Amino acid sequence: MESTMGNSSLIQLVDVSKVYHLESGDFTALNHVSLEIREGEFVAIMGPSGSGKSTIMNQLGILDVPTTGKLLINGQDVAKMSNLERTHLRRDAIGYIFQKFYLIPLLSAYENVEYPLILKYKKRDTTGRAAEMLTAVGIDHDMGAHRPNQLSGGQQQRVAIARALVNDPKILLCDEPTGNLDRKTGFQILDILVDLHRKGKTVIIVTHDQKIAEYAQRTITLDDGRIVEP
Amino acid sequence: MRDIFFDLSVRSVRLNFLRSLLASIGIIIGVVAISTMGMLGTNMQLSVQSQLSSNVNTVILTSDVVKVSTTGNASAENGIDVSELNDIKSSAGQNQIIPIHDSGTQFTVGSTNGRGSIYGLAPSDIPKFLTIDQGSNIQGGNDALVGATIASNFNMGVGSSIKIGQNCATIVRPVVRVAGILAARGIASDNVNTDNAIIVSDQWYTDHFGYLNVYNQVNVILQDVSTINQTEANIDKKVNRNTDVIRISDASSRLSTITSTLGTITTFIMAIGGSSLVVAAVSIFNVMMMSVKERVQEIGILLSIGTEKGEVRRMFLYETLILGLIGAIMGGIMSFIIGYSVVQAMIGSTAYFFLPQSLIYIPYGMIIGVIVCVVSGLYPAWMASNMDPIDALRNE
Repeated sequence: MESTMGNSSLIQLVDVSKVYHLESGDFTALNHVSLEIREGEFVAIMGPSGSGKSTIMNQLGILDVPTTGKLLINGQDVAKMSNLERTHLRRDAIGYIFQKFYLIPLLSAYENVEYPLILKYKKRDTTGRAAEMLTAVGIDHDMGAHRPNQLSGGQQQRVAIARALVNDPKILLCDEPTGNLDRKTGFQILDILVDLHRKGKTVIIVTHDQKIAEYAQRTITLDDGRIVEP
Repeated sequence: MRDIFFDLSVRSVRLNFLRSLLASIGIIIGVVAISTMGMLGTNMQLSVQSQLSSNVNTVILTSDVVKVSTTGNASAENGIDVSELNDIKSSAGQNQIIPIHDSGTQFTVGSTNGRGSIYGLAPSDIPKFLTIDQGSNIQGGNDALVGATIASNFNMGVGSSIKIGQNCATIVRPVVRVAGILAARGIASDNVNTDNAIIVSDQWYTDHFGYLNVYNQVNVILQDVSTINQTEANIDKKVNRNTDVIRISDASSRLSTITSTLGTITTFIMAIGGSSLVVAAVSIFNVMMMSVKERVQEIGILLSIGTEKGEVRRMFLYETLILGLIGAIMGGIMSFIIGYSVVQAMIGSTAYFFLPQSLIYIPYGMIIGVIVCVVSGLYPAWMASNMDPIDALRNE
């Protein structure tokens, strides 16, 4: 299967299962899921609550490793990587956009965007890239000095997008990115994502909203830990 | 530009300023306790050392055996005779040799009877190691010097008369005239305790007490204290060549015993003071655990967007370092003030307070405070860095 994917295959899940060992017994959150996402795709993952959407996002975001099966990112088997290698891959190849924005509360908007650059280059940003990213998502310089709690939901999500993009990752993982926003702001954020896809980013969006899923080229529906509509 | 993890730590401390300050108070108390106790002990040591070391350049020679007079006379002589004195003189090099007679005596000043020591010394030897506070040295045959305590207890001044010997109606006692009063010496390490004594010329002493050419003690005052061991060895070789007849001692061994005892006491009280740092460590540990628990979601964000575990650990260790530094700096300043006051109150002098060996306890205390703080933060920092980012993100 791997050999048929070619260079354009960015993410591969090969017969991936994720089993949680709970006191009440084993719980299978992902059940033999196989999936391939190619570079430059816009994929929506849908499904009801408990269908395994979050679990598959955690796998794609390398926050977790499969219990069985293989997860390959850029052809590399995630399970064979060290903890530090996975951290570096997360930092360099994946941009996260969360429903609750998850900005670092003690840093200003600008510093939140600068933060991944500091992680990567081990020094403060002197290239102007962080400021450039903020401007690109419509946050001006003055606004950049504010702490996250001084910004509206829409502004926070823009900052989160700028943070996700600042290290120029190949993959944008969006977990209900409009879930905490009003409809109008939600569509503005989606427009930004569509634009990023147009510029070549691989966008994976988890949503339960059919209208949002319509923006994607491909929709994967999960139910009870299995893909029901590839 | 500053490390962003340091910035995050500073901001976290600022956000919980009161809590951080309270945690630092434990460190402040610990630093003050260690530094103050250390400084107090050192000042005490230095003060005792200087009191005792004024005579540290003196070798004390006393007779080692009791010699029975060859005349068959019942009187036993316990002293250094002329031939031994000559041996000492020939072996002691250029150093000053002070032969000393002494015994106890009763005396009467006016109508008051007293008891004290009486020393017989060559008048020319007196200024070599004793300080005359009032009056002058012994000039005439009946002149005497008195110690500071005896002078004040018996209301004596220059010119006062003292009858020497037991008060007995049938005997006419010799009388000496006070020519001078000596400065107080305290407990002298050269064994010449003059505060409660009368000092007369050696001739007057032997005229009235006997023991001509037999001395109770001979002191050798060294020109260079570093030659003490060599000089003692030379004397020993010469005078004790056949049998041990002279006991040789000096103040340095006694001084080192006292100094080492005081050093042990200082370490002990510092350890008691340092135990307050254990309480401080618990308090810092508690505050850091609270900080970690409150910031679980933030830790989740940091880990999920690619922060290394070591960087998360560093962030929390910076936080404990900041708490430690706040405590150490404030503790250092307070140690200086409190230490000065305590030394002044307990020793009565701050003459040694500003010496490096005293003030060094402030940086010592500060360093120990910071180390205790950082060690207390190790586990919370480790716990933070090992969180599962998924669980941490879910934490509200």
